Amino acid sequence: MNVQGPSETAACPFSGNLPTDPTERAAVLASLPADHVGSGSVAENTEAPIDPPVADWVTIPELHRNPFPIYRRMREEAPVHWVPAVNRYMVTSYAACHAIEQDADVFSANETGSLMKRAMGHSMLRKDDPEHKVDRDSYGSTLRPGTIKKHWAAIFEENNRKYLDELVAKGPGADFVWDYAAPYAAENLRLICGFHNSTQEDLQRWSQSMIDGTGNYADDADVWAKSEAASAEVDAAIDDMIPYLLKNPDHSLLSGLASLPIPLESVRANLKMTIGGGLNEPRDVLATTVWALLSHPDQLADVVADSKLHATAFEESVRWVAPIGMYPRQTTCETVLEGVRIPEGARLGVVLGAANRDPAVFVDPESYNIHRAKKPHLGFGGGQHFCAGTWIARAQVAQVAMPALFDRLPGLRLDPDNAAVDAGWVFRGLIKMPVLWD
Amino acid sequence: MPTITYVQPSGQSDTVTVEDNTSLMRAAVANNVNGIVGECGGQAMCATCHVYVRPEFADALPDISEDEEEMLDCTTAERTDASRLGCQVRVSTELDGIVVDIPEGQV
Repeated sequence: MNVQGPSETAACPFSGNLPTDPTERAAVLASLPADHVGSGSVAENTEAPIDPPVADWVTIPELHRNPFPIYRRMREEAPVHWVPAVNRYMVTSYAACHAIEQDADVFSANETGSLMKRAMGHSMLRKDDPEHKVDRDSYGSTLRPGTIKKHWAAIFEENNRKYLDELVAKGPGADFVWDYAAPYAAENLRLICGFHNSTQEDLQRWSQSMIDGTGNYADDADVWAKSEAASAEVDAAIDDMIPYLLKNPDHSLLSGLASLPIPLESVRANLKMTIGGGLNEPRDVLATTVWALLSHPDQLADVVADSKLHATAFEESVRWVAPIGMYPRQTTCETVLEGVRIPEGARLGVVLGAANRDPAVFVDPESYNIHRAKKPHLGFGGGQHFCAGTWIARAQVAQVAMPALFDRLPGLRLDPDNAAVDAGWVFRGLIKMPVLWD
Repeated sequence: MPTITYVQPSGQSDTVTVEDNTSLMRAAVANNVNGIVGECGGQAMCATCHVYVRPEFADALPDISEDEEEMLDCTTAERTDASRLGCQVRVSTELDGIVVDIPEGQV
């Protein structure tokens, strides 16, 4: 239940007031214990809820190496597990992840004890509406398709030429991620944010340091020190840019924010979230898509022969390996999710990386297949937190980078003697991808 | 309470009754009408609630905002003069009985 519809006040299933919206009403009724379900409820869903199974066999090193067999085993067992190694309930079915996205009242983004809040401040990603909407609206039209078409597309083209030139200059054997995808995505992000006083290398360092802070469950002091240093650098860069952008406005996020009555604390937190979320994701989806196509030459040939398929290849890549594999939510009350009872205040991991491979929705889900039947994936999230950078990512990766690089690097292929390495689960992508070309 | 009829590409139709001022997207998602996704929850951000509004209801529709306009250029199915984003059309008395056609695809 987001901003629309007649029943925005529907809340906790145990508040006593049933929502008027039929879906929400059904969800509330379905969440009640079976013997409390009265007439007019959903008869097919009266089985008593189960407690979440404990997945004590899941380890973080295995998740990091390859989470997909773990997700498959979990999904086959139940849609929700308690996972001691992660200290969260992990939600792995498509239906359950989708239900969470549609119900921000029960599944709050405003998590207590959030490491992201510590590393980056309290950004819109950890707020619920109406507070979230104020921040989201403050980003204006910068990331929307109209501005991309009129303004960013030409800048992305120029940046792509520059970093493809650098890759070509390095010669075959260069690393696709670190010698091209990362600087290209970082330079685009630098200009979108409006950091005219910084370099793409700064953006890469800030992004990684603060992301490491966000994932610092081990409470490593060195990780916090680097994250705090990056955060302070971003604050200083923002303070430095705002007076300049007030006098010299442009299409950047900071320029728009400079003239709005948004607290500086929110501006800083939102920019840090954007630095974290706007760099790894296009970088990783670009590398993953190219890696997938180079590993499936028949599909690559189809894409090269029909330029409309670049967008399809991109979208299938986001489904197959969601660059953000998991994000947190916290329950505001006891609830039942897809038949599993979850207590109030429970910290959940919404595992998009698992939902996007749910065989209940996708045929042969573990395969990369650009010709599969089109179905909506959850890779960009959904509801009020639907990725604000979706169209920016589609433009810089599928419209600009992919067609140019297959044209510019004939015979582009993976290095058979120096294998690419993919890793990660909260964030997943290629950490090494040496490539050759003719 | 107004009613809305969604016509699938197959010709099969669903008629739903909704609270005043409910959007075409929200009404479809809440009633499990096939072919309307509504990924972004109604922010005119994803273009997955594309519908074709039958011409007899065109005069009662709200104007197309700048956000909706640019997003209609991003729909998967072809944009026509009848194209609207379901999330941007709220149904009340003036649009009671509105009939919309669902496109072949949203993604």
